Amino acid sequence: MGNCFSDVQGGKQAVGGVQQSTTATNNNNGGHNDAVEFFYRSRGLQQLFTQIELSLSAFNLRDRDIISKSDPMAVLYAKKIDGKLEELGRTEVILNSLNPTWMEKITVAFQFEIVQPLVFHVYDVDTKFHNIPVKMLKLEDQDFLGEATCVLSEVLTKRNQSLTLNLHSKIGHVGLRNLGVLTIHAEETVASRRVVEMILRCSYLDNKDIFSKSDPFLRISRIVESGGSIPICKTEVVNDNLNPTWKPLCLSMQQFGSKDNPLIIECFDFNSSGKHSLIGKLQKSVADLEKLHEGRSGANLTITSHHGHKKVLKGELFVDQFCEKEQYSFIDYISCGFELNFMVAVDFTASNGNPRNPDSLHYIDPFGQLNSYQKAIMEVGEVIQFYDSDRRFPAWGFGGKTFDGTISHCFNLNGSTGSFEVEGVGGIMSAYASALHNVTLAGPTLFGQVIKRAAQIASQSVSYNSKKYFVLLIITDGVLTDLQETKDALVKASDLPLSILIVGVGGANFGQMEDLDADKGQRLESSTGRVATRDIVQFVPMRDVHGGQISVVQALLEELPGQFLTYMRCRDIKPHPLDEAQASGYECGLTSWSPECARH
Amino acid sequence: MFSMASSTLEITVISGEDIRNNRKPVKKNAFAVIRTDSQPLCRTEMDKDGGSYPYWNEKHNVEIPQHARFITVEVQCKTSAGDKTLGMARIPVSDFVGGFVPQSYLHFLSYRLRNSNGERNGIINVSVKAKVPEYAASLCSSTATTIGVPFGKTSCYGGVVPGVPVGVPIMKQYYQG
Repeated sequence: MGNCFSDVQGGKQAVGGVQQSTTATNNNNGGHNDAVEFFYRSRGLQQLFTQIELSLSAFNLRDRDIISKSDPMAVLYAKKIDGKLEELGRTEVILNSLNPTWMEKITVAFQFEIVQPLVFHVYDVDTKFHNIPVKMLKLEDQDFLGEATCVLSEVLTKRNQSLTLNLHSKIGHVGLRNLGVLTIHAEETVASRRVVEMILRCSYLDNKDIFSKSDPFLRISRIVESGGSIPICKTEVVNDNLNPTWKPLCLSMQQFGSKDNPLIIECFDFNSSGKHSLIGKLQKSVADLEKLHEGRSGANLTITSHHGHKKVLKGELFVDQFCEKEQYSFIDYISCGFELNFMVAVDFTASNGNPRNPDSLHYIDPFGQLNSYQKAIMEVGEVIQFYDSDRRFPAWGFGGKTFDGTISHCFNLNGSTGSFEVEGVGGIMSAYASALHNVTLAGPTLFGQVIKRAAQIASQSVSYNSKKYFVLLIITDGVLTDLQETKDALVKASDLPLSILIVGVGGANFGQMEDLDADKGQRLESSTGRVATRDIVQFVPMRDVHGGQISVVQALLEELPGQFLTYMRCRDIKPHPLDEAQASGYECGLTSWSPECARH
Repeated sequence: MFSMASSTLEITVISGEDIRNNRKPVKKNAFAVIRTDSQPLCRTEMDKDGGSYPYWNEKHNVEIPQHARFITVEVQCKTSAGDKTLGMARIPVSDFVGGFVPQSYLHFLSYRLRNSNGERNGIINVSVKAKVPEYAASLCSSTATTIGVPFGKTSCYGGVVPGVPVGVPIMKQYYQG
């Protein structure tokens, strides 16, 4: 039957905490876990994003009051895709000041994978409303002092996470020029950085398998207000063992909320069918688990029988290790000079179809509707551009016949022989459009050269600046001609500060591409026996529909902060230097591996 | 001592994955041996309870001759009949020398192990860093090579070492027997 190794391994990997996985996709990158994410998306629930607190202040506001100065208040809106504004929060009213520093912070959830436009309105609150709670104030009754707009990632990538904007009149209104400035300062909530690392162990688990022992794994869920529970992480599967010790589990405070929040810990026996048998469960908060660790005691699992009778099992859960610490977050890095550098490679093979033909994947619609290539470039480029300080992006094409008649698998998209960079997302779009006129579609589909070129740029960058992390977007319509050469190039590149996103457009069968994405398959292996150090590839076919506000392509971006952090953390590259303000926030935990933890 | 005919490497033998003895997972006492074709370089301690996912995380400084093109890693286990080689991998020196990265780049490398029958038998994870000899360090123009890339000590600050089952190297020492 040929190469028929069962997919049980794949199934065990999917459960989480992959034994062979090189990435921290299980839970050490801020809680991202494939199964958990699917769970959220399929239920339309909001994920546990990084919470950012925005503090606002203003300078030189206009004076609207006759007798005294303005009494300003600021309101923050998120601008939705349809242009509508959704209020996120408001500050308090400060009396009699044109240079207010508001105390009330507004919390925003940071989502790396989308562009988050923010709109700020400043109002002068009339005296007659001063006794009304701020949230009841009707804004149309107040005097409008000015508006400012920005994107959340712009604030976060600034060195001290502060952005100052000029206030201006609302669009369409004639108004005065100098309305003052608004300063926005962003800070992650402490919860974003605090994590708990535990080693959990069970003893005397019931045997659910017939011919061997159970293959247990744990699933930890958080109880929500509605009474249900949301899984927040899973351990890997330990084969054939009724007294398993799982690998260290890392839970961020974002995931568990507070140490007193009750968590449900379920122990399942892995079944390759996907229907895992529940061995037992218990309910404990993080504080309870800490007590178990301190007391070196166990807690019994229970199971509810068919009759609804709760039976206490012999199996017990122990917490062999419990350690609270803080770790640097993605925002810590990007606000201190670390960058994401965007690179793009476009497929110019003939299978796309003649660009003049409206059926072609490369057809440029005169009325402005974007084709799949343009959509992918925009959706990824528009998010990443804010993390790139110079907005100069390498852009290549592959599989096309260039002006000198030869087929190239890595030619500069801008048609130039020397420079491979373009300016901004707009530069990529115009280079792409003009390349369609100058390049003849050919073939075959080979990624190897583009990957090698990107790897070369990433390697050279390490020599002079280890604060850059590279993201290569490859957009292709077809199936690879030389899968092994591509795997070889990917394995060689897997130890570099580089992530590769592959978007498949059109209707081809992309099954082979899924092999490149270790989430769905195994670690890549080169023809020389070297195995990929980490999983740097993600693939998604554009036609997959997940629903919700995030497009398929943007879902690819969700993993990037995690991949970036894995690379930095394992090399012990810290965001530095810390200025005083930040250093004080790190007193506890970040400085050392607590001696209590070491004392065992 | 620095010698013109050899170069110094800092090799950390990190861990192995899914290593079997006659198709069955190894129970314990696996260790790794590193050598060039002509001479042994170092060996790790035995992992007494690591089973088929042994974890060593041992750093060794070794000298390899300039002309060496491969270093060989063997995973062995102690049996009643002596030391048995379970799997072997050859690491081309070109995988960590040359290329565009700076000389002192910390390379995290993983390789497929094959047993004496040539069958696949797990994966070995190592890290390699070329040590620039002291007298030459001052001649090196690119001191920027070491900024932000200190030797990857397996810190516990969520320091995930790639190629390793997540978290194991950090807390392994605290596993109960």
